[in-house]
Amino acid sequence: MLNHFKTWIKTITFYEILVGMKATLMHLLHYKPITLQYPHEKRILPDSYRGMLALLRYDDGTEKCVGCDLCEAACPSRVIKVISAEVPDEPTKRFANEYYMDMTRCLFCGLCVQACPVDALGMTREYEWAVYDKRQLLLNKPQLLAIGDRAFPVREKKLELQHPNVAFFNVAFKHLPPKVS
Amino acid sequence: MVEVGIKIGLSITQIAVVMGVVLLTVMFLTLAERKVIGWMQDRMGPMEVGPYGILQPIADGLKLFFKEDIVPAGANKFLFSLAPILALVPALIGFAVIPFGPNLTVEIFGVQFQPFVISDINIGILYILAFTSIGAYGIILGGWASNSKYSLLGGLRAAAQVISYELNVGLAIVGVILLAGSLSLVKITEAQSGWFWNWFIFAPPFPQLFAFVVYVISSVAETNRMPFDLPEAESELVAGFFTEYSGMRFAFFFLAEYANMILVSCIAATLFLGGWNAPAPFLQFHGSLANLAWASGVFWFTVKVYFFLFLFFWLRATLPRLRYDQLMRFGWKVMLPIALGNILITAIAAYLFPVGK
Repeated sequence: MLNHFKTWIKTITFYEILVGMKATLMHLLHYKPITLQYPHEKRILPDSYRGMLALLRYDDGTEKCVGCDLCEAACPSRVIKVISAEVPDEPTKRFANEYYMDMTRCLFCGLCVQACPVDALGMTREYEWAVYDKRQLLLNKPQLLAIGDRAFPVREKKLELQHPNVAFFNVAFKHLPPKVS
Repeated sequence: MVEVGIKIGLSITQIAVVMGVVLLTVMFLTLAERKVIGWMQDRMGPMEVGPYGILQPIADGLKLFFKEDIVPAGANKFLFSLAPILALVPALIGFAVIPFGPNLTVEIFGVQFQPFVISDINIGILYILAFTSIGAYGIILGGWASNSKYSLLGGLRAAAQVISYELNVGLAIVGVILLAGSLSLVKITEAQSGWFWNWFIFAPPFPQLFAFVVYVISSVAETNRMPFDLPEAESELVAGFFTEYSGMRFAFFFLAEYANMILVSCIAATLFLGGWNAPAPFLQFHGSLANLAWASGVFWFTVKVYFFLFLFFWLRATLPRLRYDQLMRFGWKVMLPIALGNILITAIAAYLFPVGK
């Protein structure tokens, strides 16, 4: 009976609505926005952020990529297309003559980076890649190398007598966590 | 002849000033609503156009002005063009009888002139009720003429909702009219002068508290605002009756909605909260400053109106939309009996304890 009376009083005085309105008013008085004004202020990215893909070079400017096609095989969404060729006059060495990435399909899983035996691929921290024309996202080798150049200024050292197909994992990128295989 | 010319000139100036103030308030409200609701929901509201987004209404206005004006295929062109005007004009025309400040009469070039009310007609409140009902036609015709199922559904809902809740608005006002003994908004406000317990929401012999609650809820429903915005329920009906409208015609519906909000707030302030009267006699200019009493009157009226406008935003930020059957049940089975009971008790009280007239 008393409970019924209490519910009735609450109904006719709009108690629940008043509680809700108090909540919104408290948020107005203790105004603390959670909005980030995106183009003006940006979030701090986590250390393991996987952004735009890039091709890397050794410190003497030669490309790391040996054209082995493993990245193409590892890619789940068929982003990568490698057309490799022999290095002229050096029949034991190969390189990627053409290298395409269709970034419209990339899902940034990082499998190609893990698959690469010579660490020729890297994931940068770039993410502002919205373009007006989709075709601008079909990247070729010079573009990917340029992304790598601007994202990784510290390059891995190319050792003397190093066979180009032997991997020296993470020699120069001390600030990155070691590769987990 | 000269006198008539001066009269017409003064009236036109007054109408221009009132319309200007109303439209500026609408402009301000569009920004204030987005800001206040944003703040209540831990957001920022518009921030890009101008410092802290204060120029947003101007940007919105320019955008609507330059947008393409589309008439959908199969629409009834005449009614499609007529509907926004039918919605906007009644909303603006109601301001003709609202007293914005004390009932002064000044003489300019030998012509009697009331500066704070465009025309003090003795059926003011009936006039407003009659014209706001015409506004419903704009919504219904706009929904029907668009040749779209969303618009039609929105228009039908608006028709049912506006008619049911207008009834409650009318009945809630009757109590106040019984106590004031007049339909003129100026006379009703003058009957509430003095301390705040003379306002009709608290006034003896029977406080109109129930009528006030019924009026506020019904007026929120009548202006199709949250939580009663079923005619434009964007999650079900895209945008309800103005789904197919674009450009300036959409802007007219938009203006009409906000002008209706202001009008309804003005009526609530006038009828229940004492209009231009200060809560206490010492809170307005008096004594040696009595010549400036009009300024404090306008100030208190503005404060009351803005309180109601804030209440509109506050409700919108807090409450979810009602279901349609809940809306109808609430209107007919809860609000209507309360309003009728209020009329009955007020009539008996006013008969037993007649107010000094």
